[in-house]
Order: sequence, then C-alpha cells, then structure tokens
Amino acid sequence: MIDKLAAVRRLGRRDLLLATAGASLLGGGEAAAQTAGPWAIAPKTKVDKVNFVVWTYGDIYTKIQAKFKADWGVTVESTISAFNDHPAKLMTMYAGSETIDVSQSSPFSFPNFISQGLVEPLDDLPGAKDYLADLTDSARQVAVYDGKLMGLPYFSTVWVWNYYTDLMEKAKFEPFKSYDELLEQLRKAKKDKITEYPIFWVAGVGLEQLPGTWYQMTWNRGGVFFDKQGNHQLGPGSVARETLKWWIQTFKENLADPESLKAQFTGSAKAFGAGKNIYRGPNHHYGLNVANDPAQSPNAGKIKVHGSPGDGKTIGDTHVYFLCTANRDKEWAWKLLQYLGGKTKDGQYSQAINLARDAMLGSGYKSVMQSTAVTEGWKPWGDPVEILAIWDKATYVAEVVPSIYQPWHFPWSDRINIEVSKALTGQITADACCDTLIAAIKEVQKG
Amino acid sequence: MQAATSFRFRRELPPGALGVAMNIPTLLTLALVLAYPIYYAAYLSLHKVSLAELRRGIFPFVGLANYQRIFDDRLFLLALKNTLIFTAFSVTVEIVLAIAIALLIDQKLWTSRITKFLILVPYAVPPIASGLIWSFIYSFEYGFLNRILFTTGLSNSAVAWAGDPATALFAVSVPYIWRTLPFAILLLHAALQGINQELYEAASVDGAGALQRFWHITLPLLRPIIVVILVLRTSFAFAVFDEVLAITQGGPGDATWVAAWYSYKKGFSPPFDIGVGAASTYVLAIIIGLIAIAYVGLIYRRTE
Repeated sequence: MIDKLAAVRRLGRRDLLLATAGASLLGGGEAAAQTAGPWAIAPKTKVDKVNFVVWTYGDIYTKIQAKFKADWGVTVESTISAFNDHPAKLMTMYAGSETIDVSQSSPFSFPNFISQGLVEPLDDLPGAKDYLADLTDSARQVAVYDGKLMGLPYFSTVWVWNYYTDLMEKAKFEPFKSYDELLEQLRKAKKDKITEYPIFWVAGVGLEQLPGTWYQMTWNRGGVFFDKQGNHQLGPGSVARETLKWWIQTFKENLADPESLKAQFTGSAKAFGAGKNIYRGPNHHYGLNVANDPAQSPNAGKIKVHGSPGDGKTIGDTHVYFLCTANRDKEWAWKLLQYLGGKTKDGQYSQAINLARDAMLGSGYKSVMQSTAVTEGWKPWGDPVEILAIWDKATYVAEVVPSIYQPWHFPWSDRINIEVSKALTGQITADACCDTLIAAIKEVQKG
Repeated sequence: MQAATSFRFRRELPPGALGVAMNIPTLLTLALVLAYPIYYAAYLSLHKVSLAELRRGIFPFVGLANYQRIFDDRLFLLALKNTLIFTAFSVTVEIVLAIAIALLIDQKLWTSRITKFLILVPYAVPPIASGLIWSFIYSFEYGFLNRILFTTGLSNSAVAWAGDPATALFAVSVPYIWRTLPFAILLLHAALQGINQELYEAASVDGAGALQRFWHITLPLLRPIIVVILVLRTSFAFAVFDEVLAITQGGPGDATWVAAWYSYKKGFSPPFDIGVGAASTYVLAIIIGLIAIAYVGLIYRRTE
C-alpha cells in the first residue's frame, strides 16, 4: 500500500500533452485511431454470444452492443442493475456459476473483486501494453493492482462544486473563496429568505456520495484519512474530524437541505436543477450533464461549476471494466472488454468518446482527455476549460483514503455511511463518530 | 374389464398407508423447497463461505466462529433491537386494526362489499412497489403526507419522515402494516362469520351490551385465529426487508437496520460473508421459533 501511495501523483493533464499531440493530429482532434492493431483481428475461437454485467447509466450500452454485433456478428447480452445493487447482482451470478464475460467496478469495490478471484489479469493479452501506456495516472492507480493490469477504464471524474446563478444573483453573492465565507453566505441567504435550504449536499448512503463529500472537503482542507504508513488520521484535532464538525454545522443550523441525506449522483443533480438551493456540495463533475440538460432540468444553463476553496485541490477517481474469470471464452471476452473500455475494430476509443460526448464523462485515457470529444463534447453542459482547470488540481482519492486498496475498505465504508449519517442528523457528535470509525477499523480488518 | 376393476379394488391401500402415499408428494416438495434450504443455510453458517468458495464449492469448516462474530458485532445487536421494536409495533397495530376492520365489514351493509374489495388492494401491490409509493408519500419537499399536514394546519414545517432517526423506523412500519393488514382482516373476517349468531342473541336477551358481547363472545372465539395471525405476522415482521430496501436502506445512520437487512448486507455486499449472513438468519429463525412457541403456549393455556 505504501508503494502504491508513493506512486500516487496528481491526475495532471499538462504532462500528457506531448504524448497526445500526435494523436490529436492523426485523429483530427479525436482520440487516436489505428485500424491495424490487435483490436481489429478476430479471435480464432467461435462463440454464439458474449455478455456483460454492469450498472445503469442512461442508454450508453445500446450503441456499443449494436456496434459489436455489426463488427463481429456476435450478439452481446447485458445484465444491467442500479449502481448500488451491482455488487450483489454480480456476486449472485458469479456464485451461481453463471457465465460473465465482462463486468465493471468502482475503485472502492475493485480490490475486493480481485481478492475474491473474479478478475482476470490482462497483461498478456494482445494490445494490453498499448492501453497501459495510454492510461492516465488516476486510471492506472485503479486498473493496475500489484503490478498487473486488471481492468480498462470506464470513466474518470473529479469532484466540483455547483451553484445556481439565479439565486446567487438574487442574494448578490460571488462564489465563496473559503469555508467560513460559505457558511456566512448560507446563513445570510437563509436569514434573507432567499431560500429555505441554501445548500444541497450529495450525502446519500453509498461509496462515493456521503463518504466522497467528506473525503473531498477533508483533502481540500489539507487532511487525509490514513497516512502513508497506514495509520488513521481521525483522532482529536485531525482535519477530517474538524471538517466533519464544520459539515454538521450546516445541518444543525438547517442550512442544508434534509433531502441531501438521500441524494445519489443523478438524483442530486436533478434535485439541484429544480432551483431551490444556491450551492450543491462537491461531487462528480458530470452532474452538469443532468442539471444543465433542458430535458431534465427547468433551470438548464443556469448551473455553474465552482472550484474548491484555498488552493483548489480536489479529488478524482476512475471506474473500470474488467474481464471476469467466469468468462465463456477469454479471447472473445477480451474483445468485448475492449469495446467497453478500450478500442473498437476501427481502432477508435468509441465507447470512451461516446461517453464524453453523450454523458460528459471523463476518460481514463490520456488521448481521449485531450481530444475534441472532451474539449468540444462537454460544451453543451459546462465550460470544458473551467472544468479541466479543476481537473488539473485533482488527486486520485486513494491518496486521501489509501484503505481503498484494502478488501476491508468496503465494510469500513458501510460504517462511514452509518456513523456520519448519525452525526449529520444530530444523533452523535463528530467526536463520537470519528472514535467509532477508529474502533471499526480493527473490526473490519479482522474480516 | 370386470377383472381389472376387482383387481384394483382388492389392491386398495389401507387408510393409513393411503394417507402416507397421498402426503408423499407434499412432503417431497416441502423437503425440496423448505427443508433443504434450511439445512443448507445451517451448513453455510458453520463454514467460511465467500464468493471464491461458493464458485469452487469448497467451504472450510469454522465451527461457531460466524456466530461468535455476529454476537461481537454491535450492529447486529442493534439490528435485533430495531427488529423487535418494529415487530412489536407493527404486529400490535395490525392485530388491533384488523379486528376493528373485520368487525366493521362484517356488518350487513351494502358498503361492506365495497370495503371488502378495497382492503384487498394493498395486498395486491408488490412489496417493493409499495415501498417506493410510500417513499414518494414521505418525500420531504414533494410528499403528500407533508402537503396534507401543511394544508390542514397540523404542521407548519415539513418533516423528513424517513430521514429523521426519531421517525424512520415508524416510517418503515406504516407501509408494512398497510401492505400486510388485508391478510389479517381476511382471516378474522372468515372467523367472525363462523361464530354462531345465536350466542349474540342469547347474550342480548341477558342484557349484554355491545362491548360485553365483544369481550365475552367474539374475542374468546377469535383467539385461535388471533394466535395464527400472531405467529405468522410476527414471523414475517421479523423478516421485514422490502420496505427497508425501498425507503431507507437502513438509514439514516443505523436507525432502520433490521435483522434481515443485516443478513443481506453481510452476505450480498463486499466482502460477501455468506457464512456470517447465514448465521445471522439462523439466530433470527431461532428467535422467531421461540416466540411462536411462547404465543401458542400462552394463548391456548388461557383458552383452556
């Protein structure tokens, strides 16, 4: 874990420019397309169908299924469940000896899936080294486990704040520059009856919602949850503990929308799009894809991004697709995996480009992040320049919470959800919450 | 033809053997769908079972270690406590309401027929759908419940019914009662129709009022069916899951962590401790069994 931490660096994009400049030229601004690579060669074996097991996100899988069928004549079957239900769905299928060619994982579940034997290493497969070379730092830190390439990137994201321009103008506020200023603005907005609940937090139970908000603000204030030796940093006076105290205050003073505690990613963006709150707490940048979509939001175009206070540092992460050990045919499963997380037959990162253009998702590939799929494709919902400037200040979340690399992180994350929810709803203090979480580390480590 | 008939007649099984033969299909079916899973769950609870072991079919024996782990887990004990509160509240309210409604629809009024039909509606709604409907009703900003309370002047501000730890467990209980109440009403209504009307007439002649007739005739004669309802509803209430999944997901915090939710989280989310999940369900099953025995013993002793 310490070795991994030592390797953790900022996501950065400027250092990728040289590597991707040629790609941009070749692809007319799109990610590089090389039709002669291993992705264009048909597997020697024959299969009737292949399948993947994923969580839902719009209709992003329809196109890629059709493309696979058109390119290779093989039907792609899908099993799609809700994000929070995905681990259970995958687990029951795997345990029930069902065939699973490709699946996906959040960075928080991935070490667990690997330790349970679900994930097939990719290093020796044709073209794997090319993918590895093109991975961003964030994607590499998730996809490479114990020195082996274990997955290909689904998408990358960074945590940004949002504000609603109409209420900002009504309150005559400028975007806050410190947490103290934010609290003052929230109090004033409530007092002046600009809105009942000036801030909406993404604090529903999950892996990245409630915990992610705490991780992000702690990191932005200069704290971490574990140091590089693996010691927790939740004790009295720690940044994480003080951050939690500050956060609780927004609930105690009824400044935070009570619905925050149920908010998931998309739901929170939709709720914020209703225009009842001034700020939305830090969460995935692509929430704008919902909040600024005229079909989904009555205030489309009025939701803006805002960087974090101070030096503006924030967190980011990457979700991955992986080749499941329960596959029907390794060659075909690898082919399907590439259609989801790599290149299609034409040498394009088709899925990553579609995800950027259709859903505002970031990519785990340097070449895609530098392509017009991002710099132009994101424009309908937000300012790519502004978001990419925030991207430059993002660090992979494992630097803040290195326990992500441990199989016990998932059950510990459950405890975070429980205890922090209790703290935010006034059942326990921030001190009691952190003390319980410290004790829980030993419990979950026992397995 | 005649020979064949007499052959079959001569070969007819004695009543005892015929009874056994007739019951064998049912026994086999129950053994397959009930006994085997129960046995298998017991087996799993004594072994280390996770994804890899399930896939390979090799489970290392760990004795009572899984049971030790759940009893060391503060969250399991809290889930049991929440389950007890939930069960006591929902079963009590359900029995009282079911008796009241059953008595009402037992009246010979034309509206009773419509009511009989309407009370069945919640029973036809799938549990998850029911949970989702109620989560909309409870919605802090857009829910019907807050809207009704606000417009009728009963409340000046919205209440986060499912989001407030003080109300969340009851917010889960109400949809559960709503969904399962028709079952109890149907049983009680059927039992009411079996009570001889002459008993009431005789009591009336002797000067008994409505309350006395209910207390001395209706309630004692309903006791056997109330025991059945108590046992069934307690068993099911102990295993409540759908409403928790749809409305609160165990939150806020651990306010609605119930035993079945605990088992689900242990078994079906990383690191997939199926053995621990099975052990927790077994503890639950033993508690339900003990309560059922206590109910039957208590109520029948009183009846005798």
